[in-house]
Amino acid sequence: MPDNGQYLTAAYIVAGLIYVVYTVSLLVRAARARE
Amino acid sequence: MTADLSQARAVTMRGTVLTALALAGVVTVMVLALRFTPVEANQGLAQKIFYVHAPSAWAALLGVALTGFASILYLWLHDPRLDRFAAASAEVASVFCFVVLTTGPIWGKPIWGTWWTWDGRLTLTLFLFFLLLGYHTLRAALRDPLERGRFSAVLGIMGLVLIPFIHLSVYLWRGLHPQPVLMKPSSPSMPPEMLRTLLTSFAVFTVLYVGFVTLRYGIQLARDLREAADAG
Repeated sequence: MPDNGQYLTAAYIVAGLIYVVYTVSLLVRAARARE
Repeated sequence: MTADLSQARAVTMRGTVLTALALAGVVTVMVLALRFTPVEANQGLAQKIFYVHAPSAWAALLGVALTGFASILYLWLHDPRLDRFAAASAEVASVFCFVVLTTGPIWGKPIWGTWWTWDGRLTLTLFLFFLLLGYHTLRAALRDPLERGRFSAVLGIMGLVLIPFIHLSVYLWRGLHPQPVLMKPSSPSMPPEMLRTLLTSFAVFTVLYVGFVTLRYGIQLARDLREAADAG
């Protein structure tokens, strides 16, 4: 079996970061829209 | 006016709750994939990238498709809610598309031996992402809401037209990208443990799409109400 776990880790971190950063950007914009 | 703003707040709150639940679901999917799903013998651990990549692609195409349908209806009915929904859905689709275009090459490097190849599926997905960027640029450039809604609806429909080509690209141009294991006429071609994780992931990413769009819609609704109040 190929040893390529580092690619899996990288993909999950990258995808997770993109979703979290987008969520934060939405929450910031929501807070500004409320002001 | 106060009632409308409170409605915008309620939509934003619903979107926030849904998004929080879905993000918890994404973590659950990752744990499910890492700990409770067998490792594919030929591809090794990198195959598990599929459980985030494929559902993200589904959510991106769902977002583009709904943007397209909302755009068609907007051109017919001129209802600002449809334009607001189309814009929210297109933005969320761009985020999912970006995840597809980053996780795909990370899987491609160990499996194909290259980060990128000009395969039909990959190239068309990149075009779709550029189309979405064009959509947002156009919206940002136009000030008049009616003009913005009309012109961006045309681009939104173009995205919808691209979807069948993206889905059928693996049959039309036999490149490196694997053929569908789930969205095909015959039954799914994977073991039940893997299928369970994949279906869970599809459900979670659909909720994430709904959460993001609801939140984004609520933000735009609040902005539009404020602009209308300032203008009035």
